[in-house]
Amino acid sequence: MQRVLLFDSATWLVWLAPFAGMIAAGFAKRRDPVVEGDRVLRHDGAAILEHWTHGIGTAVLLGSGITLGFWFVPALVGSGGPVWTMMDVHFVAVVVFLFGTFYYGANTLLEKKRFREHLPTKDAIDYTRRHYGLLLGFKELTMPPERKYFESEKMAYILALASTAVIILTGLLKVAAHSLDVPAGVMAIATPAHDIATVAMLAFFLAHVFFAAILPMSWPVLRSMFTGYVDLDYAKHEHAGWLAELGYEEPASVHAHGADSSDDPEGTN
Amino acid sequence: MVEKDKSPIGVAVVDDPASTVSRRQFLTGIGAVGVGAVLGGTVFAGFLLPDSVIAIPASGGYLIVDSKKCQGCNTCMMACSLTHHGVQSLSLSRIQVVQDPFAGFPADKSVAQCRQCPAPSCVEACPTKAMHVDKSTGVRMVDVAKCIGCQACVNACPFNTSRADWNSEDKHAQKCDLCLDTPFMDGDGGPGGRQACVSVCPVGAIAFAKEIPLQTDAGYDVNLRDAGWAALGYSTDDAGRLAAPVTAPAAPPAH
Repeated sequence: MQRVLLFDSATWLVWLAPFAGMIAAGFAKRRDPVVEGDRVLRHDGAAILEHWTHGIGTAVLLGSGITLGFWFVPALVGSGGPVWTMMDVHFVAVVVFLFGTFYYGANTLLEKKRFREHLPTKDAIDYTRRHYGLLLGFKELTMPPERKYFESEKMAYILALASTAVIILTGLLKVAAHSLDVPAGVMAIATPAHDIATVAMLAFFLAHVFFAAILPMSWPVLRSMFTGYVDLDYAKHEHAGWLAELGYEEPASVHAHGADSSDDPEGTN
Repeated sequence: MVEKDKSPIGVAVVDDPASTVSRRQFLTGIGAVGVGAVLGGTVFAGFLLPDSVIAIPASGGYLIVDSKKCQGCNTCMMACSLTHHGVQSLSLSRIQVVQDPFAGFPADKSVAQCRQCPAPSCVEACPTKAMHVDKSTGVRMVDVAKCIGCQACVNACPFNTSRADWNSEDKHAQKCDLCLDTPFMDGDGGPGGRQACVSVCPVGAIAFAKEIPLQTDAGYDVNLRDAGWAALGYSTDDAGRLAAPVTAPAAPPAH
């Protein structure tokens, strides 16, 4: 019996997922970051949900997409059953990815500050130079007062944003081709654009996983993507600018003994 | 004006004080309408719309072969890949000569050419209409730009060897298009033109026909052995009988 691809038998789920994400965002109860004793709320439940649905969806999409082969990348599956299985895996990831991304997008439309906090500032180059220069052992550099997200992360966010937009637009066209007679000329543009955006997303994804999950200095924020919280001491060292934005001030006793130079919220030391 | 970012969740998030709909309500509403439209459309299309009946026009031509005449030289396969892809590759050929050196004549060779089926399973199986019927010629062919590589057509072809092939180099399906799309061939192909395999076969074991052959294997595997074939001393019928010996022209009388 001829097997039917999920992209054909359950296409409606692909169109449903974005709207479901928007509804979920409409009912989300968001919490802003706040210092709570010796820890800081960094991500609320909605942020954790949108991160992991988008992230896991992206990971599986990249894995299944690359396995199916594109451009100069050889397909790792041969023909028949394995190809269809991988396409079905791609389908499930599409649904999860679309839900997470539109959930994030709708949340961002509701509170634009959640978008602004991801955008690089005029300090991007200077902070990144100082931050990673320090990591590389240049002792004369000082830790900049990074905000909630590192400036380097925020620059990478632009790449992720652009590639996500292209992947979604071209991907939905590819899905539409399962129901409509999309002109071949449109598909001849959409498919390579989908592949190029995938390469860009792969570059972002690998860098993100390395800097946000593998590098030991990032483990506290990785943990916060599950628990929502980071330690106050960690935030003081890595995100002094963010703490300043939250209105945190060192207790008087600490000031009396002198704070670490990296805690200088203005980064002037 | 109310500053959205400082407002409590779900309360007073309007940009326009005169508006009674908050941005949150608006977005949630769009989501709800979208979900309703998708579910409603799915139910309507799946249960309420009648099944569509699509009339598929007949192909403007067909390849017929004589597997008993084929010598297995593979020239047709080389010409096919050369005219379509610019390279000589047996694996890129849309016509396949299958040879079994352990089988005796006539089972030692078979020519697998697309039959341009009246009800093409490959076209029906394609989820994106990449495998389609050309409107002007009726030829069943692949629009490469629309192929997603699912290989449903390859598996749907009822024949073994499948007449819908997988191009493992460019990763898309392909099949005989009667040379309708041959960027590396001089002159026009397709039903109104010529076909590379027909043109190059050194023994004339492949021919082009406008009329659809009988829908049996025998209908496409015909006797193309003619007087010229007999002149070479080969049999011209399926029973293997030799044709009447062809006598050499009489020598001119000696003077």
